[in-house]
Amino acid sequence: MSYIVPIGPYHPSLEEPVHARLITDGELISDAEVFIGYNHRGIEKLCMERNFIQTLVLVERVCGICSHSHALTYALTLESISGIKVPKKGQYMRVITAELERLHSHYLWLGIALHIIGHDSLFMHSWDDREAIMDALEDLTGNRVNYGMVTYGGSRREMSLEQKDRILKMLDKIEDSQKRLTEFLLADKTVALRTQGVGVLTTEDAIRIGAIGPHARASNVPVDVRIDSPYCCYEDFEFNKAVFHTCDVFARVVVRCLENMESIKIIRQAIDSMPQGAYNLGNRIPTIKPGEYMMRHEAPRGQLCYKVVTNGTDKNERVSIHVPTFRNAPTIPTMLKGNSVADAGLIIASIDPCFSCMDR
Amino acid sequence: MQEYKRISITKDEIVPLAEKMRKNGVILAMIHGYLGKDGLPVISYEYQVDPGIESYTVEGEKVLPTISHIYDLAAEWPERELSELIDITFEGLDTSKRLFMPESMLEGQGHIFVTPMEELIEKVQKKKED
Repeated sequence: MSYIVPIGPYHPSLEEPVHARLITDGELISDAEVFIGYNHRGIEKLCMERNFIQTLVLVERVCGICSHSHALTYALTLESISGIKVPKKGQYMRVITAELERLHSHYLWLGIALHIIGHDSLFMHSWDDREAIMDALEDLTGNRVNYGMVTYGGSRREMSLEQKDRILKMLDKIEDSQKRLTEFLLADKTVALRTQGVGVLTTEDAIRIGAIGPHARASNVPVDVRIDSPYCCYEDFEFNKAVFHTCDVFARVVVRCLENMESIKIIRQAIDSMPQGAYNLGNRIPTIKPGEYMMRHEAPRGQLCYKVVTNGTDKNERVSIHVPTFRNAPTIPTMLKGNSVADAGLIIASIDPCFSCMDR
Repeated sequence: MQEYKRISITKDEIVPLAEKMRKNGVILAMIHGYLGKDGLPVISYEYQVDPGIESYTVEGEKVLPTISHIYDLAAEWPERELSELIDITFEGLDTSKRLFMPESMLEGQGHIFVTPMEELIEKVQKKKED
């Protein structure tokens, strides 16, 4: 007999509001629908009422996890419209913050995934590592959530020798524990039973629906804006696209573990080859010319798009924000079909959703 | 810096262009829309031609053909979003369900980008009083 099982919009297993309607045939899901928009805050509309300095502060509050990505992408868009040249040191500081943010986001996701899988001790271990990264971010930027690190024409802060040492030491610790965590995740029977062959999104479906970021890479689609279309000096660093071929929840775990190692590699290279000189343009507030530009940034969850239209005044004509979850959430019904109701929470979580970010 | 190229097209070119891009394996990065200086909509189809973006822009049209049958949900969600927020009609697109706006807001339409802020505040206050 067929039943409709609703999950959300407010549910203990969800951190953010989303509504999934599962049409079940016994224990199995035969069809599913996803409904979004429960946290729409009208941020894009507010951006049209604010000037550029105010908007930089506002867009950082779109997301609590990838706040730097939003501020960075918006600043990069305006800099591209006006042809502002950012000093290399400022770019490197932005990259270090972005990669630390990716690390803490992936550790957050790993913790949540392990908690849903039922491995609470590893959940605590991974969040312990995340805490060290959060401390490093606080040390570097002065804040734990909204870092305020980006300014037009560069970065607000530079890094002292002591900070460099502390971050490198933290990276050594994280690298060791990430290796142990990866070895465990690859070998553990419980993790394999809960993740392998669960929530499959084939390569064809990922391309058809338009999945992006780690979610697409776990379906064997090699897309990564940092490599495909470099910006912010990413071309200076050597790193690989983390791609895996099994297309299931297990692949999403593996991809994020691999990406953590790549981010550690990037941060080390950026610290070791930190350029000398200015890290921003000083107190000069740049004039933003009229124009339009679309910027893409590889945020922790995938490609973040900002399209900004300016009209020569100090206000935005239009700021269009599209976050990775907007592209990945439509894949949820496809992944859910044929799986059991018990796996639905893990499958929805496997895209690393940020619904508040998407609703903006 | 990522390259960004703006190319003007007409309404009739939207579907053949999408078919060509899909055939060539080009990713549709996003569909954006805003109101231009004269108050008429500007809709741009952003195709990801790495290392840059080719932005095919249609100006002054309020009714456009959908490309959701070509690009599936990668086009359907952005089109539904635009029809909710800017009042654009995409012919052939099912807009019977809301995407972002609450069903109770402004008779289920929203269109917040084309409604002045003062009017929005007034409508919300009026709703609260009711």
